[in-house]
Amino acid sequence: MYKWIHQFGSPKYFYDISLCLSKWVTIVCIVCFISGLYGGLVLAPADYQQGDSFRIIYVHVPAAWMSLFIYIVLAASGAISLIWHIKISDIIARVSAPIGASYTFLALSTGAIWGKPMWGTYWVWDARLTSELILLFLYLGYMALQSAFDDKRIAARAGAVLALIGIINIPIIHYSVEWWSTLHQGPTITKLDKPSIHFTMLIPLILMVIAFKTFYITTVLIKTRSEILKYECNSSWVKKILGN
Amino acid sequence: MSKFSINNLECVRQNNILFKGLSLTMEDGALLQINGANGSGKSSLLQICAGLIQITTGEVLWNNININQQRYEFQSNILYIGHANAIKATLTVEENMTIIHSLTGSKSKINYSAILKKIGMSGMNKIFAYNMSAGQKRRLGLIRLFMAKSKLWFLDEPFNALDKEGKKIIENLIISHCDNGGITIFTTHQRMEINGRPLQSINLGNNNV
Amino acid sequence: MSEYINIFNVILRRDLILAFRDKTDFINSLFFFIIVITLFPLSFGTKSTIVNEIIPGMIWISALLATCLTLETIFRSDFEDGSIEQLTLSRYPLTLLVSAKIFAHWITFGIPLIIISLLMGILLSLSNEIIMALFITLILGTPILSLLGSVMVALTIGLRGGMLLNLLILPLSMPVLIFSTVAIQNAASNQSMIAEVYFLAGILVLTITLAPLATAAALRIRLS
Repeated sequence: MYKWIHQFGSPKYFYDISLCLSKWVTIVCIVCFISGLYGGLVLAPADYQQGDSFRIIYVHVPAAWMSLFIYIVLAASGAISLIWHIKISDIIARVSAPIGASYTFLALSTGAIWGKPMWGTYWVWDARLTSELILLFLYLGYMALQSAFDDKRIAARAGAVLALIGIINIPIIHYSVEWWSTLHQGPTITKLDKPSIHFTMLIPLILMVIAFKTFYITTVLIKTRSEILKYECNSSWVKKILGN
Repeated sequence: MSKFSINNLECVRQNNILFKGLSLTMEDGALLQINGANGSGKSSLLQICAGLIQITTGEVLWNNININQQRYEFQSNILYIGHANAIKATLTVEENMTIIHSLTGSKSKINYSAILKKIGMSGMNKIFAYNMSAGQKRRLGLIRLFMAKSKLWFLDEPFNALDKEGKKIIENLIISHCDNGGITIFTTHQRMEINGRPLQSINLGNNNV
Repeated sequence: MSEYINIFNVILRRDLILAFRDKTDFINSLFFFIIVITLFPLSFGTKSTIVNEIIPGMIWISALLATCLTLETIFRSDFEDGSIEQLTLSRYPLTLLVSAKIFAHWITFGIPLIIISLLMGILLSLSNEIIMALFITLILGTPILSLLGSVMVALTIGLRGGMLLNLLILPLSMPVLIFSTVAIQNAASNQSMIAEVYFLAGILVLTITLAPLATAAALRIRLS
């Protein structure tokens, strides 16, 4: 296991394998994205309560999931770089953060757009939206911390500590916000959570989730490759590639 | 017999390779001088040796065991004095000494005046550090050399800001430390001799140590 | 063990003396705290219903902001004069030394803050239940702020951009703020606030356990 991590963590190995990996992942992403959109926007029937505006969940829900998922990636790669000092995980964490922040922003903005016809207002202090907003703050703090350092390696390790503290805090934040919102709002909003979802609505959603995830993987692979070249600009194999 | 060695060390700061492939071994009584121009990585090397900077390539060994695997065992054997004096301006000389003494872990009572006399600061017990000159502050920073019973000394530019007499005191101290089986590594701007004693010395700055 | 308690006391005493000799930072931020609290009645009016509803939350927000102003003092001078290297390289666990420093910060800033909040509460004629709730939440909450803050200070001290610390600490301290203000609201409407107090106590135990470790790790990273 340890050996495998080290092999995968070696920049050259990662650089080579990520090229072929990213091609396949991109194809999966495009296929899922197109079919998911078609299924969600055309094939799926309109919701009997929400009409056509429910269709925004095909962007909103995957984006919200990804926002949390990417924060977990930040913390996990942070732990890896603190324990094993693996460069690749430093890079992955750094390039993931802006993507995660974008997904969080996407989830928030689609939530607000959906809220206008549903709740009559763009912003509701709903527990999930509020914790999503705090998650956005955590992402922004992480990125601000990263950009304050000149030395990328120290930045990565400081960011790792922050991400680990954040990941411990996220459940507490979520729970506290939920606690707070039940006190202030009463349970009216939970009615809008769909307890069951129809098959024809679910399949496109799953496709969109896969599309979002693969899109993330593709972007990370591409950005990581370019960061590796910057990181390793002194090593011989990079000079060879750039020479050709 | 204790042994301090560094093995195939590489230091990269902000994408510049300061040095690479650096190895050396020191045993009881060794005295090593690191010299080089500003920005050549002297302080970094010293901080790597003391375990302050974590390195990605190479290792630092104390008695053949990596220092990261025995951090507190290693740290109870070393004394590091950096560029900064690490004394508190709003504390008096005695108060500063008390804290230094406590951090060395020694249980004996300290004789403030005797130690101050050795470093040429007699009668300054109750003076606040912010009232002292740069040279006096440096002496107070170096007073750790008298108080700690460490085997390994890492001194970053110990002679900075010192006058001739102060320099002499520290030189003698380093010599007697090494004669008693201690190991000293210190940095200087340029090569210098200590009482005509043969020094191991490495020269940083041209990437080919 | 007694050796560890001894060094803890030495560092604690050292930081208390240092804070006492150079107290401008603490006194200024306590003044800031008082001034911010007096701003609220001036802008919301002094009807007792409004005061009882808004002031406790405002005291908490002001406490949070004032704490942010003082957090840097935990490590600032140690970073500037190189003492932090001596602490890091000493024979004692850095976690222990850092805990003493955090405790000193709470004594020099947290305790005066609590006392002033209670005085302000009495002056603004809050009801007794609210003052009691304020006291309990502050006594559980301010150590959490000191502890969380020390990690963030260790990460950011000396970096360019002075606002960075606040950007990092404020989102992370939201649960403390939420549980405290909910507890106070419950107390104001004569309901039990025991659940929130348990939550705060739980968070406190968690941060006491983890924050010194994280601070020590962050300091080592910053020094390298």
